[in-house]
Amino acid sequence: MLVPLLSGRASAFGEKSRFIPAVARHGGRWDARLSGLRRIAWELQRRTSVEVVPDARPFALSSRDLFEYPFLYLGGDGPLPPFTDAEVENLRRYLTFGGFLLADANDGSDGEGFDASFRRELARVLPQSPLKPLPSSHVVFKSFFLLDSAPGRLLNKPQLLAANIGKRAAVVYSQNDVAGAWSRSELGDFEYDVSPGGEPQRELAVRLGVNLCMYALCLDYKDDAVHLPLILNKRR
Amino acid sequence: MDNTPFNAWKLVSLSPLPVWGLVVLGVGLALGIGLAAWGVRREPSMRRRWLLWTLRLGAGLAALFFLLEPGIRNLQVARMKNRVAVLVDRSASMNFPVEPGGETRSEQVADFLEKATPGLAALQDRYTVEVYGFDPELAPLTTEAVAREPARAGSTDLLSALRTAAAGAQGAKKLSGVLLVSDGADNVELAGGAVGRARAALADLEVPVSTFLVGKEALKDLAVQRVKVDDFAFVRNSLTVEVEVSGRGFGGEEVPVVLRQEGKVVASKSVRFESSDDVRTVGFTFTPDQTGRFVYTVSMPVFPDEAVGENNTRSFVLKVIRDRVRVLLVVGRPSWDERFLRGLLRQDANVDLVSFYILRTMSDDPGVVSQERELSLIPFPMEEIFDTKLDTFDVVIFQNFGYADQALSIAQYERNLERYVYEGGAFVMIGGDSVLGEGRASMPTLGEALPVEPAGPANAEPFQARLTAEGLRHPVTAMASGASSTESAWASLPTIPGANLTRPKPGATVLMDHPFLTVDGKNAPLVAVWDYGRGRALALATDASWNWAFTAHRDGSPDRTYDRFWGNALRWLVRDPDLTTLKVTADPASVEPGKPVGVVVSSRLSDYQPAEGAAVRVELVAVAVETQKPVAVRTGVTGPDGVVRLEFEPPAPGPYKLLATAKKGEQELGKGEDAVAVRAVGPELSDASVRPALMEQIAEYTRGKAWRLPLDGLPEVPLLEPPVVEVGRAKDRPLWDRWYYLLALVGLLGAEWFLRRRFGYV
Repeated sequence: MLVPLLSGRASAFGEKSRFIPAVARHGGRWDARLSGLRRIAWELQRRTSVEVVPDARPFALSSRDLFEYPFLYLGGDGPLPPFTDAEVENLRRYLTFGGFLLADANDGSDGEGFDASFRRELARVLPQSPLKPLPSSHVVFKSFFLLDSAPGRLLNKPQLLAANIGKRAAVVYSQNDVAGAWSRSELGDFEYDVSPGGEPQRELAVRLGVNLCMYALCLDYKDDAVHLPLILNKRR
Repeated sequence: MDNTPFNAWKLVSLSPLPVWGLVVLGVGLALGIGLAAWGVRREPSMRRRWLLWTLRLGAGLAALFFLLEPGIRNLQVARMKNRVAVLVDRSASMNFPVEPGGETRSEQVADFLEKATPGLAALQDRYTVEVYGFDPELAPLTTEAVAREPARAGSTDLLSALRTAAAGAQGAKKLSGVLLVSDGADNVELAGGAVGRARAALADLEVPVSTFLVGKEALKDLAVQRVKVDDFAFVRNSLTVEVEVSGRGFGGEEVPVVLRQEGKVVASKSVRFESSDDVRTVGFTFTPDQTGRFVYTVSMPVFPDEAVGENNTRSFVLKVIRDRVRVLLVVGRPSWDERFLRGLLRQDANVDLVSFYILRTMSDDPGVVSQERELSLIPFPMEEIFDTKLDTFDVVIFQNFGYADQALSIAQYERNLERYVYEGGAFVMIGGDSVLGEGRASMPTLGEALPVEPAGPANAEPFQARLTAEGLRHPVTAMASGASSTESAWASLPTIPGANLTRPKPGATVLMDHPFLTVDGKNAPLVAVWDYGRGRALALATDASWNWAFTAHRDGSPDRTYDRFWGNALRWLVRDPDLTTLKVTADPASVEPGKPVGVVVSSRLSDYQPAEGAAVRVELVAVAVETQKPVAVRTGVTGPDGVVRLEFEPPAPGPYKLLATAKKGEQELGKGEDAVAVRAVGPELSDASVRPALMEQIAEYTRGKAWRLPLDGLPEVPLLEPPVVEVGRAKDRPLWDRWYYLLALVGLLGAEWFLRRRFGYV
């Protein structure tokens, strides 16, 4: 059902020109939200001018092929075993030279489970870039939709966290299982209920997903001086 | 036998005793006198006490006289002749008239020297009088030469002349004094007055300098004294030029001051001189709108009764450069290609990036109730960026931007863009599925400015981009100084997944091509450039160059080829002077009056190799309001390094352009130009004033005296006395061996002995 939305005009250049999310294959439960990623790619195609392939391509964190997919999703339900040194090194290089990582606690954990494991491993990958809350003024909240919050399937934490390299948020981390809100079954039904906000919260989670993809693609475009007066006016 | 009479004498001791012996005996005598005085200290009669003390002291002195054996030494002596230096200012300001229409300052000096001749001759018995001119080197000078030969020196350096004259005194003849004849118009070390180190340097001369001021202060003159401006300015940024103008004899008058750029008035102001000898600073603020080197001229009108008119004008060369390259990036839709180019341009401090992305088309459904409140999108300001503001950008980049929809089509602005490039702008077309033959928007008018044209459907097969022979040396794709390192840099990059199929236009230079995709039997271009009118354009026939930025790092080592490629491309597009094939440089950029105009031309072939043996033609063109008049032409042939230096005869003062062309065989190697300012007057003639205060300071700090010309003769000047030296024989005549000296000693001792006995002392 996703195919009819896809434009055929980009076919001349093959799929490599399009937005395709990559998924990090790690030692934990890494593949719980693949349908959610396909769905957000589809939403991106439907709602914006971005051309996508609504797929989720899994790669080992040590794979050199990661460098053909600048958007990487790393989710998990429960704890992860430690990354190997090769994985740490490869992921560090991936992020340093322009890759974007969306980390997502599918278990909605805080201080345990995926959350504890991810924070531990990220500290190894980017020891100089600790996770910090993303302020509501960050460009992620206006890269396409104007947003005030960062809900997912859950709303455990009102804020996203980010690890910056320079001024760029190379890693964005949600503890609200944002991809859980996007996931659909093969029959087209949403896989998980969204709480506490129900369907309106799901729509906000989808919009957040679109904004995150847009941020990965456009960086701080919406912080350009030409946009600011208009956006500020809209937010009033 | 020498019969020369003695002409000097001095008192000497003829005692054969050594000095230490005399000292011991002298101390003994002093003790004897002291003990005797001590012995009569209780004598109640003051008269007796004093009498005894006096007699003992007299006896002691008489004894000392005999010990020292004084004598007269008759001598033959002579005085050494020291030097007196007369330093005459031979700087060009000495050609100014003493008063309007009157004799020149040099003529006044000649008159003085003639009248001072008897006085100088009178000094000859004790001093050697030497007359020098300083220009600024010291050189012997005659009175006739002062009157006959015009003064030429381009600067006045009084302290240097004084130092040189003093340094010449290290030989046998010492310097006893200096007579400094000048208008005091120093423009080197004493330009700011005799203060600080300059004052200490004058005192260190240890020679009295008597000053003779030439000229009068009452001369009427306007002058542009100084122009304060940086060597370069930024285009489209305002800058201020501070001009110091002086007016002598213009108290209460208002005078216009005009700043011109090669004849065209840039700004003008009026300045009011409050007193008859006033210096005012005028600030001109303006905004240069073009890059390049330009001659600016500050001028005031020349009034009929002015002492000198040439110093009313002053030219300077200003290099106008870009502060940051202003780039307009128009993106058809967000993509990885856009993301990495944006990341690069945003982190480049030399780039001022303005970007517009099409984030949503009419066919996209964002799923919102209120677009106004829920989306951050802004209208695409086509008219503003492609019409009213287009000229403010140095480079326009279209990144896979091509829409046929009414709302996003730029059809009505294509001609603007084409003209923008033709008239000197820079344009980049980056490929993708919406442009260069793909998509529905063909943009034929804009396409005229591109070095390539569509040649068929795009090919999605991955390929390794290949550097062409031209690309090996072209500044856009040359990555390092050597061809092999450039080749290896490009060869190490990952493959690219797909390219637009295009055909190079005649005149285009293909820098990189496709290894197997062909057009008309030739490899299809991937990167092509050309000059279009006065502008430049570059086409990159793929939307996947981001792989050079990101995928290139998958094997570990950092790779900067992508960064360098875009950095080079921007520099080439905006005609960075360092990347032109024909580089023209005025040498120097500002020429003093009477000096030749030099120009260095560096020529390169289209592949940026030095063009050896190229025929270079340079035209010197006088620049006036709205007109350019050729003045002279020089031709030459470049050497192995592609460089040739040519020289023009000294032209008239004013702003000039140097327009150069080069050819090798039948091949044109391009054009280039530079600006040169030929100054009307050097620093020496920019100020006609005399400086009596400085001349008085010099005299005061060196213990000399200050006078003003005219004088009827040489006044009495302070000079150091020449030293005296012994020459020939000497004869001693004793004074002590007289009988009455002995009688006096015996008498004094006897009288003291007698009186002590009489007063009851032993």
